[in-house]
Formats: sequence, structure tokens, C-alpha cells
Amino acid sequence: MQDDEGLDRILREWTITTTLPPRFKQRVWRRIEKLDAGPQAGGSWLQRLVGSVILRPGFASIYLSAVLAAGIAAGALVAQATTSRLKTELSMRYVESIDPYPAELHK
Amino acid sequence: MKMGIWVLLAGVLLGAAGFTGVYYLGTSSCRELMSADQPELAWLRKEFKLSETEFARMSDLHAAYLPRCAARCSQIEQQNRKLEQLFGASSPAMAEIRNALLERARMRANCEAEMMEHFIQVSQQMPAEQGKRYLAWIGKQTFLRGQAMEDRHRTNPARHSGHNHSM
Repeated sequence: MQDDEGLDRILREWTITTTLPPRFKQRVWRRIEKLDAGPQAGGSWLQRLVGSVILRPGFASIYLSAVLAAGIAAGALVAQATTSRLKTELSMRYVESIDPYPAELHK
Repeated sequence: MKMGIWVLLAGVLLGAAGFTGVYYLGTSSCRELMSADQPELAWLRKEFKLSETEFARMSDLHAAYLPRCAARCSQIEQQNRKLEQLFGASSPAMAEIRNALLERARMRANCEAEMMEHFIQVSQQMPAEQGKRYLAWIGKQTFLRGQAMEDRHRTNPARHSGHNHSM
């Protein structure tokens, strides 16, 4: 109790000498309004997307499935291209090992 | 908001994992070929579905062919140098140049014949259907490639009639 009385006394004696920045009140109210409006209002497009779309019920699972499917499809395409390129490379290495004529002679 | 970022990150990780996994599995056969002693022969074995015995016979033929091929290449190279000397002489003798050219053409023809013989021998080590496929493929990759020039001339007769010389 004694502590509280001491604190009260200090607070009563404390005088604020610094002045508030211009339009301080308006800025505080604007921030309060923004928070009240929820995550959709304001913020970057990513914040809006994360806040409003991804967290929608059911969307997260659709998003994760779609990203996984895209990763698998891209992996399959790139693997196919790599395999095809390596096979061509190896077949040409075989041909070059047994063909005495340089390729330009045949062109 | 925090939860949303985690879902977003999980998606990125899941996509990357899917890509890496499928890529790794999809290229495993090629990695296996590349790690072989002679990747080109390992490829041939896989491509033409050779058994262990067929592959061993084919590898022996390949190993025996390479030094003979190198020797013929060396002879042609010598003939090329001879031609270079004859052509670069102060008064080139056309009769000698003609003979040297004919000799080089004979060497090259012999070289191609030996090569074809090797292809036939290799194809005979394969199952009949694969041997046929091998011959068709190797022909296109080697001596039949020379036909491209003749084909170009055939499809563009104006080239030899002088009608395409206009500027």
C-alpha cells in the first residue's frame, strides 16, 4: 500500500515538459482504426494474401497440394530433358569412338 | 498472419521437395550410366537391351576395333601430309596429286568398309530385332550422314544450272 502511495505521489509531481509531435492524436486514431478493420485493410499485398486467402478454411490444403503437384511436374519435366540430353551425349560419344571421320566430313 | 506465413513456407518447401525427389528419381538411370567405366558402352547396352554375355562380346569387339581404326586414321593422316606437300610444291605435278588423291580415297573407302564390317559384327551380337535397330541407327549416324550433301543438291537443281547466280 505504501508503495502505491509513493507512486501516486511521484506521478502527481511528474510534469511533462516535451510537446507532442504534430497531428499525434490523428495518427493514433488512424492506427486504431486500421487494427479494428482487420488484416485485409492496409499492409503489403503479401500480408493481405496471407491474412485473407491462405488462411481461409480449406484453402491451405488446396494450396499445398497444388504447390506439391507443380514441384513434381517441374521435376519430371526437367529430369526428362536432362535424361534425353545425357543419352544423346552418350550416343554421340559412342559414335565418335568408332567413326574415324570427323563429323564435318559427313556434313 | 503468422500461421499464414508458415503455410506459405510449407508450400514452398513441399514444392521444392517434390521437384528434387522426382528429379533425383528421374535421372537415376543416367547417373548410373555416367558412373560406368565406359559410359558410352553402358548406354549402348541399355539402349539395345544387351544381356551380360552379349555386352561382353560387344565390348571385346569394340576394344579390338579401336587400335585398327587408329592405325587407319594414321595412314590417312600421312597421306594428307603427302598431298599437302605435293600441292605446296613450287611446280605441283597434277599426275602425282591425282594419284595421291585416289590413294587417299581408297584408304577412306577401306576405312568405311572396315567400319561397316564392325557395325555388322556388333549387330550380330545383339538379339535380331535390336541388331536391326542398331544398324539402322548407326548407319544414319555415320556413313549415311554423307548423303545430306547429295540430298541438298538433289532438292536444289538450280544450284548446278547456274540460275541462282543472280545478285
